[in-house]
Amino acid sequence: MMRPFDPKLDLELTRLFAAPPAKVWRCWTEPLLFCQWWTPPPVTTREAVIEAHPGGRFFSLMVMPDGTEMPNDGCVLAADVERRFVFSNLLTAGFAPADLGEFGFTGYITMTPEGTGTRYTARAMHRTPLEQQTHESLGFHDGWGTVSDQLGVLAGRI
Amino acid sequence: MAKYEIDLSLIFQALSDPTRRAMLAQLGKGAVPVTTLAKPTGLALPTVMRHLAVLEEAQLISTRKTGRTRICTPRPETLAATSAWLAEQREQWEARTDRLENFLMTLKDDDDAPL
Repeated sequence: MMRPFDPKLDLELTRLFAAPPAKVWRCWTEPLLFCQWWTPPPVTTREAVIEAHPGGRFFSLMVMPDGTEMPNDGCVLAADVERRFVFSNLLTAGFAPADLGEFGFTGYITMTPEGTGTRYTARAMHRTPLEQQTHESLGFHDGWGTVSDQLGVLAGRI
Repeated sequence: MAKYEIDLSLIFQALSDPTRRAMLAQLGKGAVPVTTLAKPTGLALPTVMRHLAVLEEAQLISTRKTGRTRICTPRPETLAATSAWLAEQREQWEARTDRLENFLMTLKDDDDAPL
């Protein structure tokens, strides 16, 4: 089961694609296709490894316009053909814990046939401390909202 | 994510403590000397200095010495960048899904990959 959706913490978007689930699945799991949409130009995805089974490697190599390479390694958690693709950068291939310098997330993609197309959802779930603290820093506790307002006013002045 | 120079984990750690949040709240009114910040906390000065060091390392405040007084100044831009993080993640996912949708339109009906 997936964690219940929290609009303040998780990101979710839903679309109705004209293409059937089979094509959406291929775009997520075939590197040649995946590399063509994953990154926004001028950033490119030069290489991808997508082992579409639980524990499989989910890797992409992004290249910045100045040639800087940004490798992203993760682990496939669930891969139900033409239905569901779940991955995370909190693990690497074989479910090994990742040595992560930044915030981790889990991507949860579902595709359901609808008419001749696909009802597509993508959810990004973030790590709990981040969520709680972001929540806090956005001003829901301890009058921190007032502080944020004050800092915002101050920010406008400097 | 890499474009933020700030360290989110340091910021969240700094914000997790009520004493430090109270100090930031007071700094919301403007720059003040350390002694003014210390007074309402009832804490010993070394403890206050330790809290301030955490806030400074997270880039939530800056401090400078003028004569024999150390002045603390809030850095609201750091907090603003933190709030922007989740919004940016959403934008990235929206844009990524737009690209996927557009790319799907270019695939042929016979399911062959375009070369």
